[in-house]
Amino acid sequence: MKTTIKTFLAATALTGMAATSLAAADVDYGTFDGYNLRVKLIGGAQYEPLYARISEWEEMTGATVDVLSRKNHFELDREIKQDIAAGTLDWCVGSNHTSFAPQYGSIYIDLNGVIDEGTLAEFQPLALQNSTVDGRLVQLPRHSDISNLYYIKSMFEDADNQAGFKAEYGYDLTPPETWNQVKDQAMYFADAPTFYGTQFVGKDEAITGRFYEMLVANGGALFDDGWNPTFNSAAGVEALNWFKDLYEAKAVPAGSLNYLWDDTGLGFASGTVALNLDWAGWASFFNDPENSKIAGDVGLVRAPKGSAGIRTGWSGSHTFSITATCDNTEAAASFVTFLTSHDSQMVEASSGLLPTRAKVWGDAKAQFAADGNDFLVTVFETYAVSMEEDAFTPPLITPWIEVSNEIWPRLQAAILGEMTAQEALDEAADAARLVMEDAGYL
Amino acid sequence: MANKRPPFWQREKYTPYLLLLPAILAILFVVLFPLLFSLYTSFTGYRLIRPETLWQWVGLRNYQRIFSNGDFWSAFGRTILFLTIALNLELLLGLGIALLINKITWGQRTLRTIMMFPMMFSPILVGYQFKFVFNDNIGILNNALQALGLSDGAIPWLVDKYLANFAIIFAEVWMSTSVFAILLLAGLFAMPRDPLEAAKVDGCNPWQVFRHITLPFLMPFVFIAMTIRSLDVARAYDIVDVMTGGGPAGRTELLWTMIARVGYDNARMGQANAMAYVSIFLSIAFTYYFFTKLLAARKYMGGAE
Amino acid sequence: MRSVLRKRLGAIGLWILTFLLMVIMCVPGLWVVLTAFRPNSEVLAKPAIWIPENPGFGNFAKIFGFGADQIAIPVTAYFMNSLIIALTSTAIALLIGMSGGYAFARYRFRFKNGIFLGLMLSRTVPGIALSLPIFIIWSKIGLIDAKLGLIIVYVAMNVPFTIWLIDGFFRQIPKEMSEAAQVDGCTRWQAFWKIEFPLAKSGIASAGIFAFLTSWNEYALASNLTRSTDSKTLPVGLMDFTSQFTIDWAGMSAMAVIIIIPALILTFLVQKHLIAGLTFGGVKG
Repeated sequence: MKTTIKTFLAATALTGMAATSLAAADVDYGTFDGYNLRVKLIGGAQYEPLYARISEWEEMTGATVDVLSRKNHFELDREIKQDIAAGTLDWCVGSNHTSFAPQYGSIYIDLNGVIDEGTLAEFQPLALQNSTVDGRLVQLPRHSDISNLYYIKSMFEDADNQAGFKAEYGYDLTPPETWNQVKDQAMYFADAPTFYGTQFVGKDEAITGRFYEMLVANGGALFDDGWNPTFNSAAGVEALNWFKDLYEAKAVPAGSLNYLWDDTGLGFASGTVALNLDWAGWASFFNDPENSKIAGDVGLVRAPKGSAGIRTGWSGSHTFSITATCDNTEAAASFVTFLTSHDSQMVEASSGLLPTRAKVWGDAKAQFAADGNDFLVTVFETYAVSMEEDAFTPPLITPWIEVSNEIWPRLQAAILGEMTAQEALDEAADAARLVMEDAGYL
Repeated sequence: MANKRPPFWQREKYTPYLLLLPAILAILFVVLFPLLFSLYTSFTGYRLIRPETLWQWVGLRNYQRIFSNGDFWSAFGRTILFLTIALNLELLLGLGIALLINKITWGQRTLRTIMMFPMMFSPILVGYQFKFVFNDNIGILNNALQALGLSDGAIPWLVDKYLANFAIIFAEVWMSTSVFAILLLAGLFAMPRDPLEAAKVDGCNPWQVFRHITLPFLMPFVFIAMTIRSLDVARAYDIVDVMTGGGPAGRTELLWTMIARVGYDNARMGQANAMAYVSIFLSIAFTYYFFTKLLAARKYMGGAE
Repeated sequence: MRSVLRKRLGAIGLWILTFLLMVIMCVPGLWVVLTAFRPNSEVLAKPAIWIPENPGFGNFAKIFGFGADQIAIPVTAYFMNSLIIALTSTAIALLIGMSGGYAFARYRFRFKNGIFLGLMLSRTVPGIALSLPIFIIWSKIGLIDAKLGLIIVYVAMNVPFTIWLIDGFFRQIPKEMSEAAQVDGCTRWQAFWKIEFPLAKSGIASAGIFAFLTSWNEYALASNLTRSTDSKTLPVGLMDFTSQFTIDWAGMSAMAVIIIIPALILTFLVQKHLIAGLTFGGVKG
């Protein structure tokens, strides 16, 4: 709680500081003396460093920030849904995500017209596009993520491996360009139970997402233009069989079907997996000797292509949204602009979170190069290209999570051998059709 | 003693009601009203993210949908199986541990504290802990088995049909056996020594003493414990949710994980509450069963009605 | 001579069995405690490292804010909240439990079985069905993010249990003893505190321990009804260590240790009451 004297001083000091900060940042965050901004933010180790900057914003504007909740993704989602149900939307800013945003309907305002155009122009167009639901920019992107293929370099550089692989499969052992190559290499490297070729996440929206991107890479689509489910096409079966074949060949850990992101990340870091499709946020972790057994031995290539020559590129962004019930939209807008400003995104980039502002990409890379962190330079270069060319999100529709909940148990059943891939996908398509009908899309 | 008529709240007849008043009020407020609300929503198409659907009456549609859903019945059956196996295991193990500790005199206080160790863990912590222990790649159980040469490693504890269910039952039993043990231990302490002494003098062997004296005395405690645990075991939701999420492919799906997913992730609160009511009837059946047993046991012991 | 040997072997056998059981009970928990004292890389090592190679308090330092990369989790605030909420709700639940237990044990009245059953049945409701309605009601009354809100809920959660348990113990005490005291000039109230209460101490203590642990460890309702450091409890704080991507095992374990220690201490202290009092031989005379 700021005393009036402090606020007064801050306000007068502001005029002095404003001149310099305006020149530096070219943005006036405004003055909101004594206003208490209520926010709900996503919590967790990699999201926290940004929040250390909140006090700077408070000093600049004279407002105070009340962080009502700092929970993880799923908890926050449940809490927001409860707030909608109970009508307790008495806060202004909330963390959001491109996959979840469509569910929330009209509780968040359209930021077009609220955030000024100059600021918006500095963001990557694709990021803004993915943040638009039904023509409304309901969220301002904070950082994005997309997956690329990490691998253990020494496995590929080993002469015995190269000779053996060439003999068995007929082509050279190099970091893979297509998913079929990944499959071959994974089966070659696998030596259960001590070592595995690759791994994948096995449940919830995670596996639906991985299946979805493979489907697209093989030339398929989840829905057609009329919102009929079309993922049980040949491309879908091919995608599902990729997972199934690897699982049956024991090239992936048997427990994969219970894995989520932490299991795959930690598994790769423990040095027991050769190839790992994973998010940029993990890069520093994989290369950190304190946390990872393969630090210094990690290679990265762009995500491989499917049978249609398209690269997998499932992506999403963490974002911020402003509620329609906010009592001071300007303060909220200033806050979210600050949290996604150039400097803020530089802070986040240094831990490997991909920026959504065009300029930050270049600046971050320069920063890494200056620090001598070649690994992160490579990481950023690779991911920059992926974000620009390959990124796509799941359909931005309200029943997305529900549809996903109909798909993934069937994917699991097929992988476990309880049904064939075609049967599983057909069943999922029927269930998805019901969901879409209920939601009014069909 | 003066014979004035005391004010009505001191009259014997009303005392028990007064004594029970705080309890009844608490339950009414915290359980009954919300329950009625839930009951109402189970007849609507209530969705969390569209509050106006609260007024959309759909009659028995939610119930019809769940009763015709095969997955629901598998989850239902699995839940009953889970409850039965877990409760009985906990009872047997708890009884065994209580008897064991009762016999040991030296360091008993420490032993009792150690025995209660699992109870001090929050259910979600137990869930994460066992998720890690049973992890097929980096979990300590598989590592230990491999090191001891007992297996070639990589047993998919959390994926295989039978092993996954075993894993969640193990976690639940681990967490809650202590509850039984402590309740039965308290009962053992409360047992009058005289009949025991008399039996020893008469030359009964330990098994006979147990069967004919200890066990009948403990029965009321057993039933109280069973009843309490059968209701409490819904706390297993946290464990199952964290360890397997009810999967894979619904192999470990229990009623509660299904309810949470339908209600929150799919935001179909009306349907979830319909499921919740079915699970409530299940619990009522269990409870009623144990309650009648409890009354019978009390009668047998000649205790107060 | 043989029977002495047999007795010795029997005692040793008993000890071994007990030891094994204790090991099974403790090992998973012990693993958590060990993990709290070492860095993440050791935790995930394969093959597993059983004896910590680099033990240290690093994880604890991070939680309290001395680490470089993490904002302090307000552990002291969570701790105080948990303590206040758990102690208060336990105390109230015990009082209500004693009064209710006494009513069931000592009186015959209409609806007795009905009320008893009703109390039991109140526990058949899974938390999921209650969490949303309670949230809506509580937010209308303004009890969200308030310790009192959580206390009321925990009391209601624990009351059926405390009543049953204490009722069970009261029933073991013969009515005649209380009546004898009343004949000697005590009112019913005095008789209660002189006779029933001391003799049922073990039952009350057990009920107390359970109620406390339930409140101390409860997560689902707490995460619904709390928002900020005004009322957030330790188990909710535990979830601060999980996020979309990674579980910070070491940090989580450190937090878990912080949660367990008070429970352990309290249990150890209250232990002795579990034996106190109920030896009929001593009382009869």
